[in-house]
Amino acid sequence: MAVLELPEWMALAPALLLAGTALVLFLLDSINPRSTNRTLFAGVAVLGSLSSLAVAVWFTAAGVGATGIENYGVIDLMGGQFIVDQLALYFMIIIAIVTALVTVASHDYLRDHTYQAEYYSLILLAATGMSMMAASNSLVTIFIALELTSLPSYALVAILKDNRGSVEAGLKYFLIGALSSAIFVYGVSLVYGATGSLQLEDIATNLDVAGEMGGLLGLGILMLIGGIAFKTASVPFHFWAPEAYEGAPAPISAFLSSASKAAGFVLAFRVFTTAFPVAATTEVIGVDWTLAFVILAIVTMTVGNFAAATQENVKRMLAYSSIGHAGYVLIGLAALSAEGGELVMGAAMMHLLVYGFMNTGAFLFVALAEYWGVGRTFEDYNGLSKQAPFACAAMAVFMFSLAGVPPFGGFWSKYLLYTQTINAAADNTILLVLAAALVVNSALSLYYYSRLVKALWIEEPILERDRLAQPTGLYAAIIAAAVLTVVVLPAFGPVADAALEAAAAVVA
Amino acid sequence: MTVDVQYYVLLSMAVFCIGLFGVLTRRNALLFLMSVELMLNAANINLIAFAFYHGNLTGQLFALFTMALAAAEVAVGLGIILVLYRNFRDVDVTVPTTMRW
Repeated sequence: MAVLELPEWMALAPALLLAGTALVLFLLDSINPRSTNRTLFAGVAVLGSLSSLAVAVWFTAAGVGATGIENYGVIDLMGGQFIVDQLALYFMIIIAIVTALVTVASHDYLRDHTYQAEYYSLILLAATGMSMMAASNSLVTIFIALELTSLPSYALVAILKDNRGSVEAGLKYFLIGALSSAIFVYGVSLVYGATGSLQLEDIATNLDVAGEMGGLLGLGILMLIGGIAFKTASVPFHFWAPEAYEGAPAPISAFLSSASKAAGFVLAFRVFTTAFPVAATTEVIGVDWTLAFVILAIVTMTVGNFAAATQENVKRMLAYSSIGHAGYVLIGLAALSAEGGELVMGAAMMHLLVYGFMNTGAFLFVALAEYWGVGRTFEDYNGLSKQAPFACAAMAVFMFSLAGVPPFGGFWSKYLLYTQTINAAADNTILLVLAAALVVNSALSLYYYSRLVKALWIEEPILERDRLAQPTGLYAAIIAAAVLTVVVLPAFGPVADAALEAAAAVVA
Repeated sequence: MTVDVQYYVLLSMAVFCIGLFGVLTRRNALLFLMSVELMLNAANINLIAFAFYHGNLTGQLFALFTMALAAAEVAVGLGIILVLYRNFRDVDVTVPTTMRW
């Protein structure tokens, strides 16, 4: 378990492995550009993401980022531009798992696609950006990592070049993404103007000299929130999500709605805990920024869940449900001003991990349905359980877990989030509203999630179907996601402890 | 003679607002892209003016990165606009409506 003899930059190995795999895929493609050997390309991509996962888990187990004599402590790289701590490794693990699941599933989904190697290398480049985002510790590296995630994602959404839906989705995703990154970088410039620094810890120490430019700083923070709201698909920059998720190839929807969202949130956690500590920032700008997140959290979860309840298209319903879940996780930021806020943030991180499994799984089931060509609406899914009982059982697990029905993982993470919010509410009563909104929205979400389960298991099919194929890769990914959603149950205690510890280390 | 930093901020805010106005009113995807470029360059003005004001080079360096990233973004954007034109025979962003809320 010794990592002591490794050079310091190796701490970024989980991200570097992803980048290296993307380059290997480019190399393979340039040796034989016409090759559509999808097993080779998907295999390399899966291998790369699994090795990234293994290294991240190994670092966590070996104690990188943990304090104590036998551990290695937080690793600072390049003059504090990157930081590898428990928070970074935790999110690198989530991202690597989702990437592995998505690349396994893509093997079957893209069976007739011409550009195989490009597809996988774009996925891995986007994953590299997300991993880097988890470790970024300066607004410069954050912005570069953000763009490294966004640019391949735009191309991936529009990768079905002759499919009108895919191109339209790519266009809308690109337009809103370009707008929000312009707003984000303008916010960065204002924060730099007020504090004279872009490194997160330096920003925090320079906050007190920003006195006369408090207005600029406040505006800058608001614009940073805008950029983060885009990445996490939260109100007011959520418009792209339903369109992009519906039009994109389903594995890409899974990738964006799970990994990209998690990366957006780690950025928010990092920036707002390190650079803008609540008390010091409130003194300068005169407003408590957690208030913005209280409003955003309530609006986001309500908009997401109410819109999801009215959808007829399954993929669109999942897209709105993913907006709703972003609202739940925003509670982690809204609670930071209260005592015990770091525990709420840890619970939100735990929810992101579980969400990574169950939401990826749900979108991959949609990918399976698209592979079969059964159609897109709830009615088209009627009675699928007769032909594919295993996949439908897994889908039922995902749906009940997303709704928060015990005993699945989604219930435990929501329960943890709820109890921690209630505890923190002793200090700040506005959190009671958030806890109530969480419960009401979860209850509402059970309606549309169980509607899909009813369609799969109870309704009779409208049309007679032929026997459905059983693609190995897609099945393997879906079953793996389902197993992970259920297995979280016994492992929940230690993983939740790790999340809470990582959150506490950042806030302190 | 030096110009006070607040005039640079006013200039950059004007450029940013012009860009934002363009984004909100233009229907041509290419003009949309140009408007976004204006917004990004407004940030660059700020970064360089503030780098001068604070007397460190961080802002100037970041402005270089921003320019490179803006170029990369335009490359991807033009690619998407090209496939948009191939599929819809138009670059009007309000034409593609195969999906509805």
